Amino acid sequence: MATADARRAASALNRLGLGARNGEIAALGDAESWALGQLRRRADDLGVFAGLPDSLDYLRKEAQLQQQRRALKREEAGQPAPTVPGKDGKDGKPVNPLARLYARMFGADLRREASARWRLAARSDTPLAERLVRFWSNHFAVSVDKGPARLYAAPMEREAIRPHLNGRFYDMLLAVEQHPAMLRYLDQAQSVGPDSPLAERVDRRLARRADGQPARKLGLNENLAREIMELHTLGVGAHYTQTDVTQFARALTGWSLPLPRELEQDDVRRAFKFRPFAHEPGSVTVLGRTYADDGENQAKAILADFAVHPATARHLATELATHCVSDTPPPELVSAMAQAYLASGGMLPALYAALLQHPVTWAPQARKIRTPQDLLVAGLRAGAIDPGDKPQPWEGFLMRLGQPTFMPRSPAGYTDVAADWVAPDALWKRVQVGEALAERVARVGLDPRALAAGVIGPVLRPDTLTALARAEAPEQAVALLFASPEFQWRV
Amino acid sequence: MSTRREFLRLMGLSAAAAATLTLWPGITRAATGADTRFLVLMLRGGLDGIHALPPYGDPGYAQLRGPLALTPDGPTAEDPAALRLDGTFALHPALSFAQQLYQRGQLLPIVAAAPPYWGRSHFEAQDCVENGTATPDGAQTGWLNRAVATLPGVDGLAVSTVMPLMMRGGGRISTWSPPLPMRVNPILLQRLEPLYAEDSRLAAAFADALANQGEGSGAAMTSAMGADRAMAAGKAKAMGSGGRLPQLMQAAGTFMARADGPRIGFVEDYGWDTHANQAAILARKLKELDAACASFAQAAQPVWSRTVMVVVTEFGRTARINGTNGTDHGTGGVMFVAGGAVAGGRVGGQWPGMLPGQLYQDRDIHATTDFRAVFKGLLAGHLGIRERVLAARVFPGSAALAPQGGLLRAALAA
Repeated sequence: MATADARRAASALNRLGLGARNGEIAALGDAESWALGQLRRRADDLGVFAGLPDSLDYLRKEAQLQQQRRALKREEAGQPAPTVPGKDGKDGKPVNPLARLYARMFGADLRREASARWRLAARSDTPLAERLVRFWSNHFAVSVDKGPARLYAAPMEREAIRPHLNGRFYDMLLAVEQHPAMLRYLDQAQSVGPDSPLAERVDRRLARRADGQPARKLGLNENLAREIMELHTLGVGAHYTQTDVTQFARALTGWSLPLPRELEQDDVRRAFKFRPFAHEPGSVTVLGRTYADDGENQAKAILADFAVHPATARHLATELATHCVSDTPPPELVSAMAQAYLASGGMLPALYAALLQHPVTWAPQARKIRTPQDLLVAGLRAGAIDPGDKPQPWEGFLMRLGQPTFMPRSPAGYTDVAADWVAPDALWKRVQVGEALAERVARVGLDPRALAAGVIGPVLRPDTLTALARAEAPEQAVALLFASPEFQWRV
Repeated sequence: MSTRREFLRLMGLSAAAAATLTLWPGITRAATGADTRFLVLMLRGGLDGIHALPPYGDPGYAQLRGPLALTPDGPTAEDPAALRLDGTFALHPALSFAQQLYQRGQLLPIVAAAPPYWGRSHFEAQDCVENGTATPDGAQTGWLNRAVATLPGVDGLAVSTVMPLMMRGGGRISTWSPPLPMRVNPILLQRLEPLYAEDSRLAAAFADALANQGEGSGAAMTSAMGADRAMAAGKAKAMGSGGRLPQLMQAAGTFMARADGPRIGFVEDYGWDTHANQAAILARKLKELDAACASFAQAAQPVWSRTVMVVVTEFGRTARINGTNGTDHGTGGVMFVAGGAVAGGRVGGQWPGMLPGQLYQDRDIHATTDFRAVFKGLLAGHLGIRERVLAARVFPGSAALAPQGGLLRAALAA
């Protein structure tokens, strides 16, 4: 293969995909056709999610957990808390039976969800689609740090993002904003219209009470409304006001989840429920346009307009170009992507195609730092490492490298620019992770120099190749490859 | 109720695995100037200043805060009493160490403070707090880094795996976070060193990593492991008092207490965005914050009399509670200035009040103190950075904003 073609093939697999497997670069053929072809295929999940519960199953299990908790509390009322013996033989910390119940009920599910995702990343044959899945998952970030959202982060990616990867952005947006993960993570499930029938009924009940109990009034929570506008659609630079946010929050009231008692009815088919009683009555005005009160559809109409707003096109194009091409993407690339997106009426394939067909995307200057998640996944793929069915080692590495799965510190998700990931301490830990990965690469028939050429060949520097040749053992050479500066980049 | 630690345990990971400590590299250097110490602790998410420092004496407070209102007038069945500071303000009941500092004259809360940016976006507001300007793209480096850069021979420390914006720039900063518990093959490092030297974007960071972590030499490694054990012993106690922040602050204090250690430090914490059920979340978080300040003060004991620490957040929260017993993004918030060098024992700043007509946009505490005035006052008095340099380099565009005086004990401020 000609040098330039090999370089493009490496970019397709390492920068746009999840990391080349040994030999893939040489076998790829024309990089742009391969990349566009990847988008015509669905994100193939290789069946790794088979048998995992869906969000509705998790809601039902949670309802059971609540029942058991109530029973447990009744049972243990008045009894001293049991304790576990500490290391010194004396009684240690009290056992929290409620936490134990949660762990027994959901611990295995959480580990299965995590390991399925690792297996898919290591084995996927549609790595460009998988990168996009992860991109959108991070765009619509939720964090398992928020307990009530915890069970739903992984299902949200399966249920709301994967099915719409090659479809209309609005469909993905709607599926995400109505997903239990997002409704709970950004507090929407509890937001109630201040003049809704539900709030008025509660007010009347409180007025009748004269026992001096503190009033727990129901009302608006504008968290989801603000983050949809700032992070999911228009972007923070767009011209909207506090009033726009509050008006949109009013339209979103009523977007909620089925209650435990409702889950017992057979006709509950979705993990989303619109509650007309909690919905704020009346029209709202957002970005100068008035939306009549149409129940659930009021906020849907606003989302539909946001989805095809020029500010959204620019925001999505900037984020995707930044993720795939450069920390500072050229304005002409961003404009081309935004225009293609708007011209298509908000179709994601148009956005992707504009990216893949732009010469800047394939220019030699294009490069991105591998985030910790990128680094781990690329190492698994390069080393043909089976991540197995225990996610612990991989999640442990990510924790220490500062990028644990589904645990960003804010709804903005993880950043992907070099300034945020290149620091002395971080590089030191990358060397440690390189060694740990190398220990898991099969020794039989291992030729580190051929492996290096096979996975990063076109950017492999001669002195790195020399260092690989001088390594005292094959596994040391592989550690050197994974810890090398070239391997820290998606070039 | 639900914490990162709890999640890690469910995943089968021990939190302690992510929590052993190594040592600060022994960079020998003559101590410079007055040999003072300065630490910024940034709480990301927007601490509700009204909850941390309840203005119980304000006639508008109880009504706007409803069930979240706290008072120092005797504990009720559900709530312990807030800790009275003066006729208007109290501290949240969980801030008992802070109260001790206040009584010793070493804590100065500053009310109604905000960065010059008054929008309500977390990310823009944090960028402004960190870049030291009024706009999110006003600077690509951090003001604390620029402060370090003006002080020859002074190093900074960011307790973080990756460099936070506030510490980015040309000044000499090391990052530190609890390391992986594995040793690195020294030969591998030797071989990587020349390779990284050829990558212009990674070279400097890698060279720092090597220098700081001892290049795998036997002596440095052994003493690193000794420090690990010592830290681990301290850690058990810190973790017992709740969470990772006390552990990180103890590490910062230990490094900064050394004669040749970093004089300027930065620590960050997350999880302060309390849109719902704020009382329970903040009871836990503030307890952790209080323990963290105690850990730092204890670890930094040898230099405490020459230390200033500042707790800062990107914005305050709405004066009124929202419909889910939480608060939404607001404007004026609280800063805490603490340390042996601080002229504390009083509440600083101008309180704008919570009555109708006193709120900013009928919603937030009206900010009356610009963060930069406080930081300029501290950097001038405590680190000896000249006012002209502060206005030109550290906080560009702030020439019209005078450094706030009276923040420091006279002996040191001289």
